[in-house]
Amino acid sequence: MKCFYQNFYKTAVTVSALAVCSMFPQAGHADPGFTFGNASSDNQTCLDCHADINKVAKKNLISSEGFSHTTHAELGCKTCHDTITADHPKDGKVTRTTTCTNCHGDIAAEYATSKHSMEVSNCSACHNPHKVKKPDEISALAMTATCMSCHNHNKIKSTHAQWLPQTDLHLGAITCVTCHTKSKDYVVSVYITRRSTKIDASSPIIADYSYLSNKAGSQDVQYLVDSNRDNYISIEELKVFNKNPANRDLYLKAILTPSETSHVFQISDKSWNCTFCHASGPSSTQTTKLVLPNKDGSFTGFDVEKGTTITSLNAIPNFYMMGSSRNNLVNIFGGMLLVGGMIMPVGHGFIRFLTRKNRRKE
Amino acid sequence: MESKFIYLQPTPVRIWHWLNAFGIVTLLISGAQIRFPEFVTICGSYRSAILLHNTAGIVVALSFSFWFFYYKWVSGALTNIYVPKMNELSYPLLRQVFFYFYSYFKGASAPFHATPDSKFNPMQKSAYLAIMFVIVPFVSLSGIALLNIGPIRQIILMAGGLQILVTVHFLLACMLGAFLMTHVYLATLGSTPLAYFKPMWTGWEKVEHHHSTEEVPETVK
Repeated sequence: MKCFYQNFYKTAVTVSALAVCSMFPQAGHADPGFTFGNASSDNQTCLDCHADINKVAKKNLISSEGFSHTTHAELGCKTCHDTITADHPKDGKVTRTTTCTNCHGDIAAEYATSKHSMEVSNCSACHNPHKVKKPDEISALAMTATCMSCHNHNKIKSTHAQWLPQTDLHLGAITCVTCHTKSKDYVVSVYITRRSTKIDASSPIIADYSYLSNKAGSQDVQYLVDSNRDNYISIEELKVFNKNPANRDLYLKAILTPSETSHVFQISDKSWNCTFCHASGPSSTQTTKLVLPNKDGSFTGFDVEKGTTITSLNAIPNFYMMGSSRNNLVNIFGGMLLVGGMIMPVGHGFIRFLTRKNRRKE
Repeated sequence: MESKFIYLQPTPVRIWHWLNAFGIVTLLISGAQIRFPEFVTICGSYRSAILLHNTAGIVVALSFSFWFFYYKWVSGALTNIYVPKMNELSYPLLRQVFFYFYSYFKGASAPFHATPDSKFNPMQKSAYLAIMFVIVPFVSLSGIALLNIGPIRQIILMAGGLQILVTVHFLLACMLGAFLMTHVYLATLGSTPLAYFKPMWTGWEKVEHHHSTEEVPETVK
C-alpha cells in the first residue's frame, strides 16, 4: 500500500511537471515528440527505440513482449526513469534516481539479512526489472534457473549428492528455494512435462505453449486437462490426462514450490527432515496447482481439487514417491504374505505344544 | 545311544549364512521404515533408514553373488545341493511333508538326516530353490535398480515403470519375510529347540544313532 502511495505521489508530481513543461514550447530540438508519459500506453515512445536493436546498445535493449506484462510496465517507464529529460539521449544523463528499494523496501531489508547480500548487492543481478514476473507467473524451473545463473549446476549436484540420496530426482522435483527458504507453506505445482529419451532427472523439460497448443488444436491449452472447462482441475481430470494414450509424449511433473517468496536463502529446518515430504499425505503436499504456459511465456496456475496429488500422479507408471505413494492393495497383499509366513510358527507351533508329551524322551 | 559329531557347515558357509541373516533382517526393518515412515521409526531418521537399507542391500547382493560363484564354480555343488532331483520330488518330498504335519506330532523321528553332501531334505531343497534362485536374485536386482533410477529410467519404463518395480521389490521382500519366519521356526524342530542352530554357528552337528560310518566328510570345502 505504501508503495502504491509512493507511486501515486510520484506519478502526480511527474504529470504536473510535464503539464507545466508542455506549456512552454521547446525550441531547438530536432526530434520533438518525446512525451515520456507515465501510463503504459506511453511506454511505446521509449520502446520505439529501446526495443529495437538497431537503435540502442544491447545493454539498453528491452524486450517489449517481456516488458509488456510486468507490473513495472503498468507504472510506466518514467516512474523509475524519473530524471529523463526531453534531451534524452543527447544529454547523456543518467535517467533515474530511483532504486528498487523505493518500492520494494521490505524485500531489500529482508535480503540484507541474508548471506547472499554480502556477495551480491544489486537486485538486477537476479531480477531483470524489464521482464520480471510475479512468483506465480514463472515456472519452478525458471526459479531454479535464476540460481543457476551464478551457481554451477554440476557443483550443486555433487555437493547435494554428499548427503541427499537420489540427488538428480530430488533436484528435478523441487526448486532451490523449496528448501532454501523462509516460507512456511508449500504448493505442489504440477507441470505438463515432455517425455524425452534422454532424460536428465535433474532438469525436466516443461512443455511450452507452442508444443501444447499444437496438441490442443483449436481449443485452449487449458482444456487439455480441464475437460469440463470449469477452470478447476479435479483429481479425476488429472487421472484422465495421465491415462490418455494421446498424451504419451507428456507426463505430469509435480514440483514442490514454496507458497511465499522469501529473500533469505538459509536452509529451513524442515528441509533436513525427509518425512516432511516422504510420509503418506503430508500437509506439505495438500495444496496443488496445475501450472500451464501462456502464449507470452508466463505461466498461470489453476486450482486443483484438495486431496493428495499423489493419488493422481500414481496414474503415471513412472512416478513413485517413497513413503507417500504406496498402494494400499499391495500393502494388504504383502501383509497377507507375512501372515502366511506365520502359519508355521503359530499353527504348527500350537499343535506342537498340544502334542508335546508324544515327543518326551523315554 | 551313542552320539557323534559331524562337521556339517564349513566356515565360509557359516559366515555367508549369518551375513545374510543379519543383512536380510536389517533390510526388512529399514525397508518397513522406508515404506511406512509414519509407523516405523526404529532406524532413526528417514535418511539413515535409506542409507542403512542401501548398505545392507549391497552387502546381501554381494554376498549372494559370492555364494553363487562359490557353489557354482569353486565347489561345483550348486545343483547337487540346491536342485531337487526328480526322484526326490515324489516319495521323499511327501514323506517329509507327512513327517512335519503328522508324524512329528505323534513323536516320530525325522526321516531325513543331513550329511555334508546332502544337506537339505526335499522340502528344504524346494524352498531354498525358490528363495535362492527366484526371490533373492529378483529382490536384489529390483533393489539395485532402485538405488539410482536416473540413468536406467528407460529400462525401468520398459519393465512397466517405477510402480511395478517397487511393487515387485516390496512383495518379494514380504515373501522373504514370510520365509524367514517359517525358516526360523522349522529350525527349532530338531531334537532340542537349538539343535539345528548350533551347527550353523559352530559347524558341528550332534548326531544320535546313525548307520553311516563315514562321519568325517571328504568333501569339506
